[in-house]
Amino acid sequence: MLSQQDVKTIIDQVISYSKLPECEVNVQWTEDDFIRFANNGITTSGYRVTQQISISSTTADKRSGNAAVSELTAEALQNGVRQAEELAQISRPNPEDMPPLPPQQYPRLSNFDSYTASARGDVMVPQVKAVLAGAIKNNLVTAGYIQRSANAVGIGNKSGLFGYHTYTDSSLTHTMRNPEGTSSGWATQSSVSLKDLDGESQVRVSIDKCLRGANRKKLDPGKYTVIMEPAAVADLIGWLGFAFGARDAEQGQSFLSKPGEGKNGGGTYLGEKLFPEIITLRSDPFHPKLASTPWGPSLLPNEKINWIEKGVVRNLYYDRFWAAKAGKKPTPFPVNLVLEGQDNSLEDLIKSVDRGLLVTRLWYIRVVQPKTFQLTGLTRDGVFLIERGKVTDAVNNFRWNQSPAEVLQRTTKLTQPIRVTNDETGSNMAPALITTDFNLASVSDAV
Amino acid sequence: MNRRSFIKTSIKTSVSAASLVFANELFGEAANDDTKPTADLEKLGEVAISEAKKQGASYADLRIGRYRNQFSGYRLSPQRGSNITDEVPFVTDQNSFGFGVRVIVNGQWGFAASPLVTSAEIARITREAITVAKANAAAQAKPVQLAPVKAFRDRWVSKFDKDPFAISMNEKLELIHSATMSVKKDPNVFSAFGALGFQSEDKYFASSEGSSIQQYVVRVYPILNAVAVDFKNGISRSRSYSVEPQTAGWEAIAKANLLENAPRIRAEVLEHLAAPPVKPGKKDLVLLPSHLWLTIHESIGHSTELDRALGYEANYAGTSFLTTEKMGKFSFGSELINVFGDRVIGKGLSTVKYDDDGVLTTKFPIIEKGIFKHYQTIRDQAHLIGESESRGCCYADSWSSVPFQRMPNVWLAPGPETVTPDDLISGVEDGILIEGDGSFSIDQQRYNFQFGGDAFWEIKGGKKRGMISRVAYQARTPDFWHACDGISGPSYWQQFGAPSDGKGEPAQINAVSHGCSPSRFRQINVLLTD
Repeated sequence: MLSQQDVKTIIDQVISYSKLPECEVNVQWTEDDFIRFANNGITTSGYRVTQQISISSTTADKRSGNAAVSELTAEALQNGVRQAEELAQISRPNPEDMPPLPPQQYPRLSNFDSYTASARGDVMVPQVKAVLAGAIKNNLVTAGYIQRSANAVGIGNKSGLFGYHTYTDSSLTHTMRNPEGTSSGWATQSSVSLKDLDGESQVRVSIDKCLRGANRKKLDPGKYTVIMEPAAVADLIGWLGFAFGARDAEQGQSFLSKPGEGKNGGGTYLGEKLFPEIITLRSDPFHPKLASTPWGPSLLPNEKINWIEKGVVRNLYYDRFWAAKAGKKPTPFPVNLVLEGQDNSLEDLIKSVDRGLLVTRLWYIRVVQPKTFQLTGLTRDGVFLIERGKVTDAVNNFRWNQSPAEVLQRTTKLTQPIRVTNDETGSNMAPALITTDFNLASVSDAV
Repeated sequence: MNRRSFIKTSIKTSVSAASLVFANELFGEAANDDTKPTADLEKLGEVAISEAKKQGASYADLRIGRYRNQFSGYRLSPQRGSNITDEVPFVTDQNSFGFGVRVIVNGQWGFAASPLVTSAEIARITREAITVAKANAAAQAKPVQLAPVKAFRDRWVSKFDKDPFAISMNEKLELIHSATMSVKKDPNVFSAFGALGFQSEDKYFASSEGSSIQQYVVRVYPILNAVAVDFKNGISRSRSYSVEPQTAGWEAIAKANLLENAPRIRAEVLEHLAAPPVKPGKKDLVLLPSHLWLTIHESIGHSTELDRALGYEANYAGTSFLTTEKMGKFSFGSELINVFGDRVIGKGLSTVKYDDDGVLTTKFPIIEKGIFKHYQTIRDQAHLIGESESRGCCYADSWSSVPFQRMPNVWLAPGPETVTPDDLISGVEDGILIEGDGSFSIDQQRYNFQFGGDAFWEIKGGKKRGMISRVAYQARTPDFWHACDGISGPSYWQQFGAPSDGKGEPAQINAVSHGCSPSRFRQINVLLTD
């Protein structure tokens, strides 16, 4: 792993080659180890080291060029600087360029686990074996993935800014299917520490879903009360985070824009109560379970911030440029999200629903209309009918069309959040929740 | 010591660190006419293969890769609270260089990768790959079995007339600046975005079965689009110029006629903003190649991947409704539907001479007259469906990625020469003509899909009318392809595609093209979006 001194040396070296007034360096180093399995056996797996040095150079008249190299030799770094500077000199002045940041006080985050950083196959294979054993014992077929990574990241610039951070991350996820292909279950765990992953407990969840789903009934599309499990909620809040940009909101292109006359339309919904009292959505890079870094894309220190506080839109994402124009303080990018919960169990939620559906997770989510932030996607790996407070039958999957903002607006009850890592929205802390009138637009025959 | 002798000494003594200059030397000139890989590459290949054999591997391959991604362009958007336009340029050039070693030990795959390209590191990483394979052999279902392959010693360069990396950044920025300025010329256009993406892959492959292959591929991706906003009514709409991304050089940028098309995009984004919403219901669709490629990709490209059908992707990308007993008999679509998997077609984003298994690539039928015939396969899959050779669909997106089955160019054959797009439109009483791609989503077995588009025109009484908005259509894959009753001729056939199709854990991307002619589909469920 690149030490703080290694990273400092690389950054100093890059800056020493730089001839232009500004130079910003971003170092990323990752060592990861992963195992894939399918059809009840390990398939492909690997161990690898990857690294990237990104260099951004800027002229006095604000022309910028960016280059990235993957080697650490003097020659390679020198080449990278030369490439970035040549591009900068050819480019045109960027009216949105911001002056380089002076040195910053970055917060200390505790999300590095040395056990995880050095784990190899001998530690991960037993977890995989526990999942495989569960599948074989129940005459089911599993496919999944376990991985761990150790990461060192560093940043620096010509103005003396420097930051260094190490973090680890790990996850175990798997799908359980019956041999007939008529039922599918799924479970996931992710954590800063590999010690938190437990194949034995995880496989019980997927087996239960898969066995219960074997005789699924056909249910028509329509608007339903839906209990979304944390994996589904994590996807929706992750996408919602992307829609909190101040620029889009102020320029009439977001669900947070108000219609109206004038150059900027009718302003934004900032400060207005769009959601129920029980909805508080925040970014929390200090959460010990999240794989966050001390700085965000702007290189400003990461901070805890409420986007929605007791139903009120409390903050929008202002990058440095837009914040300066708006006379606001820049805000961190809406990631590392936590949707606050309530002291209910999933059973409590189920008991409170007279007729509705329990959804395990969502799949292939895409934006249908950027302005309204209507999304589309599907359900996957377990949809169950709830009747009079009890889970009764497994039912088919559905396509849905709905804005995640509407989901939160119609939320009536939540559990406490747990960490979920999703492919497209990263790691977030999400509870299960009940939402009403969820638009299930058509049946999906997929299992 | 000159550079070449330095490099040679370094490899021999295994003490040098790698560098980008080293990479240039190692791969040689792209336009080189040599018919075999450089000697330096072959020496490094030998290091991995001999170390793997020494450690007891029954198979090994080494891939040394150098990847370059250059992306430059402009965003033109209004300043905060003002109509004044900010012209924001961006230029990025990313390079990545390293190697990966794949081995089979005790019937189990192992893989390891490093960015330090030296013979000592190659030997060390080969041992790491062996360690990985041995650890995992304890939980294997069945030993890996590879379909036979010939040994090739070859060097291949994708077809391009003008190396896009040799064109000055100045010329690139000038072109995109002019095009975006033209789009933004009307003050009612809110913002314009234009970019030129260039990608190259320099790849060396050596295997324990005697292959030594060096390949160089260059791809180009032009982008031009516009956004218009109606503040009063809270509406925002976009319009893009659909340009074919392709394996080609700078000449493809010249042929794209960005400047000539900019005024049309400017006019059409405003037309889109004012366009009335669609009346939902069952309608006939005429889909242009700039749109239909994505429907082909999602519903045919992905459903005919063998790893999905067999459950290898069950946890992430999903499985397929096309289970193996359907091969050779399942009626996928109407008799008009003929689809090929093809890694040899000109300009295809996935076109290459040898795949990442070292297999000579080919063209093969996937659907013939509506019947599903063949899956996309790689060496370790062929025997699982009783086939004796791979169809050459192996690919890894980086030196640090494990090669696995990825989609070839999958294209829909054109209809008879006599059929024109106007013929298709004239046969529609109530329908929609769709150009360009919009939102896209499909379930994990590739049944239920929903697609938007970039621009929609109403068809009434056999005539193309004005633009409409808020259109999406939903269908079930076999129903949709059975509803196809007209495909235009070869003159209208175009190849669009995607630079970054995702699959696998850890996730990898793949560039792939999908050609087709304008086609007609009857009575598809059309939705009104929010």
